Amino acid sequence: MWRTFLLVVGAILFGPLLILLVFSFNDSTVLALPFEGLTLRWYRSAFTDSSLHAALLNSTLIAVVVAPLCLALGTLAAFGLTRFRFRGRGVVAALVAAPLILPWLVIGIAALMAYAKADITLGLPTVIATQAACTFPLVTAIVGAQLFRFERVQEEAAIDLGCNRIQVLRYVVFPHVAPALAAAGIFAFTWSFNNYEISAFTLGFQQTFPVWVYSSVRNPEHTAVVNAVSALISLTQVLLIWGGLKLIKRRTTNEAATAMITGGVR
Amino acid sequence: MHQTRSAWAVLGAPVLTLLVLFVIPFAVLVQMSVLKFPPKTTGGYSLEHYQDVLTDHLNLKIVLTTFVIVTIAMAVMLLMALPLAYYMVFKAGRRELFLLLALVIVDELAPVVRVYAWQVILGRNGLINWVLPGPSFDWLLYSPFAVVIALVTSYITYCTIPIYAAMKAIQPVTLEAATDLGAGWFQQFWRILVPLAAPGIFVAALLVYIPMYADFVAADLVGGPSTYLLGQRIRDVILEQGDWGSGSALNLVMLGLSGVFALVAYRMSRMET
Repeated sequence: MWRTFLLVVGAILFGPLLILLVFSFNDSTVLALPFEGLTLRWYRSAFTDSSLHAALLNSTLIAVVVAPLCLALGTLAAFGLTRFRFRGRGVVAALVAAPLILPWLVIGIAALMAYAKADITLGLPTVIATQAACTFPLVTAIVGAQLFRFERVQEEAAIDLGCNRIQVLRYVVFPHVAPALAAAGIFAFTWSFNNYEISAFTLGFQQTFPVWVYSSVRNPEHTAVVNAVSALISLTQVLLIWGGLKLIKRRTTNEAATAMITGGVR
Repeated sequence: MHQTRSAWAVLGAPVLTLLVLFVIPFAVLVQMSVLKFPPKTTGGYSLEHYQDVLTDHLNLKIVLTTFVIVTIAMAVMLLMALPLAYYMVFKAGRRELFLLLALVIVDELAPVVRVYAWQVILGRNGLINWVLPGPSFDWLLYSPFAVVIALVTSYITYCTIPIYAAMKAIQPVTLEAATDLGAGWFQQFWRILVPLAAPGIFVAALLVYIPMYADFVAADLVGGPSTYLLGQRIRDVILEQGDWGSGSALNLVMLGLSGVFALVAYRMSRMET
């Protein structure tokens, strides 16, 4: 009985992507069965589509800048919130958690209005700024969960044994949070790369990859190319995330790994 | 007070970022909803946008449609997430981490693409109509049914993982004791599992039910005229009609309702334990 249940859930979650993969080889512009024969021409068109290239480049650029920004801000916030007791800590914690609960639509519209009011031209910098501010709380959740599990006694022991503060960070704290940092980095990168709403509202006239997909699937001429490029991107993402998380797992216990992943959504 | 100083040294940058890029934009949104002629401040302030939004019958209809679709999606998701979380915690053994990774990875794959893929499955010449014999079902795609499925696949990760985390804290002994005392599976599920997982269900509601009210991707790509949802409405009022006043008022009314809902869910999750 459990097998059937898991199979059904797996089919609902992963089935659509597998089917897109299959259709990306179908020699027909219409998204329909039966199969017209195998072809690689959609992959060829994907490689020559300049609007797609621009969109992919934009998404990658944004994610490459946003992920490190999020790591820096998120880790600082995680340290501040787990290591210190101070007045206003509850308020700060709520402020950091808020972007995770507020719908992207609200965040995107509010950002659009604020940029317009401040007379700031929309473009890559505006997307990067809003995404960084609203994605770093995810890093805080993941890294904070790991810091929370960490015994402060170890830091004190290191100080007693003659370490200075930098050495404590370098040899005691960093090895402990490194896997969480790596996991958080992967999540921040994919969140940024995949985000549709914020780009749609704050990018102006350019396109990111999700925006390109959005406009292309409404155009029947384009759907086959969307299938091909989505299959490629999804495959790359699965390999990167899977490989990355596997590597991280080797550095930690099973228990710490599950705690890290669940920390990301709590 | 030494602690307070070093805390702010560390928290200064993240808090400042949130203030400038999150709190101020939100304040601007609130301001737009009470300006008479947004974005101009010269027209003075008024509450007429709220009045317009709340008395418009179309909005009421859209809110009802959204409520029904989103609530059904939430129910379907819980029906999937509860057994899945239970399996991962108590039955999966060595496969637990694998399932967790699969659940996380599916969420990290291009969300727009995952929703659009349902067109291929549910369409008139799609997979289901091709496999099933007889006349084709036209109602599968561009229907409430398709929107519910798309919502479920978009949010299932954020529904399952908090419940999984809450169940992780349940001692297996509790369930064994219940079995020894003669409780059937339904009794164990309803009287032990659900109450103990209630905090996780509350978090799932916050992370899933509230954002779903603002979702427009699912309804855009696989929905039809009968599934015009609140998220689409807000987007269209602001981007297509350019009516910032009504758009932001509608946005804030939606958030207010979500807040009320969150409070109710919080109370319920406390009552159970």
